[in-house]
Amino acid sequence: MTITESLTDRYVDAAMRTVREDQRADLAAELRGSIDDQIEARIAEGEDPESAERAVLTDLGNPDLLAAGYTGRQLHLIGPRYYLDWWRLLKLLLWIVLPCAAFGVGLGQVLSGATVGETIGSAVVAVLTAALHVAFWTTLVFVVLERTGHDTMDAGPWTLDRLPEPRQRGAGLGDMIASIAFLLIMAGAVLWDHFIGLAPTQPGLPFLDDGLWPWWIIGLFAVMALEAVLAIAVYGVGRWTVPLAVANGILNLLIAVPALWLLSTGQLLNPDFFPTIIEGAEGATVQTVIAAIIGFVIVAVAIWDTTDAALKAARARRP
Amino acid sequence: MSETEILETHLQELRRGTVVLACLRLLETPGYGYGLLEELGDHGFPTDANTLYPLLRRLEKQGYLTSEWNTDEARPRKFYRTSDAGVRLAAALTDDFRAIATAIDGLDNDI
Repeated sequence: MTITESLTDRYVDAAMRTVREDQRADLAAELRGSIDDQIEARIAEGEDPESAERAVLTDLGNPDLLAAGYTGRQLHLIGPRYYLDWWRLLKLLLWIVLPCAAFGVGLGQVLSGATVGETIGSAVVAVLTAALHVAFWTTLVFVVLERTGHDTMDAGPWTLDRLPEPRQRGAGLGDMIASIAFLLIMAGAVLWDHFIGLAPTQPGLPFLDDGLWPWWIIGLFAVMALEAVLAIAVYGVGRWTVPLAVANGILNLLIAVPALWLLSTGQLLNPDFFPTIIEGAEGATVQTVIAAIIGFVIVAVAIWDTTDAALKAARARRP
Repeated sequence: MSETEILETHLQELRRGTVVLACLRLLETPGYGYGLLEELGDHGFPTDANTLYPLLRRLEKQGYLTSEWNTDEARPRKFYRTSDAGVRLAAALTDDFRAIATAIDGLDNDI
């Protein structure tokens, strides 16, 4: 009889592990009574005590599961109430954080003179680490929300007003995030160039002409801020419209025309940049070639971006 | 999942609420866990112990059952009894069950 009793004892103990202290005595007594009743009934039907006890406890199943049923404990990490919010936020954060992490680390590696292999390796590690952190902390916040019963950011019942607007390709959330991330990275590169220097071997040697500071650079940042506002506006409207495309064209002109003028008058790039890095006469040649390439890139980007927005606006007008 | 398992799941879902109703009605005379389990079986509501006990706890927490320990006998037992709110809930559930039964009968007539 000692062995049979200890099985029930062990079962009740196991079930009470996850039960709150103040409910434990009551629940344990009731569970034990119920087990004894069921064993007795089986013995009365002619079973031997040991197999009766085994059968009853086996029927009751996993004690933790039974206790969870008693106490109403949640057996999920994130339930249906929070799952969709969790998933949407997680996707959004991953879309923002991972490209930024990859780009930032990649840029840092390139600037510090790492090889292609090292750069890719570091970027991959950074992306994996960032993904792990984003997923873990986001999930943790939602697990806490689930257990404390707080509302998520969009509380309130779902209404028809929340149906997503039909969106044009190129006017989605991803496009807005990509535009703003690109602007931030460009601004970061300009600041980096001024304060640290883009050439890893020559710290403090700027690529852009120092004469651009502060007014030309402030002007550039102001136009970039307007571009960010434009990206948000396109997302807000849900498509490219003619006024938005015109504004985009004006902003492109505001960047391209002064940049080309500065480039042609030799005020955009630091004239000492390549001659300092590359010894001898080739330095000056490289400087000229790079200046020419940059001129073409400025024109090409301005034309392509303006045309792209104009085409999208034209397409959106057609019913 | 095999066909019998699927059938089993559907039957379980269909019967889930009826066990609540049966408990509330049977416990108008006080009863304890195992006795109620037997009684339910006898009345045609076969129920697992690990379904019934959590159910009794929940109904007690919601105020539809009251409980007290009976220590007169050799084995102390927790006796449950349907509260006034429980009686009203049982009446509402019974009405609704009849309405459902009528509605299901109505399905036959239309075919």
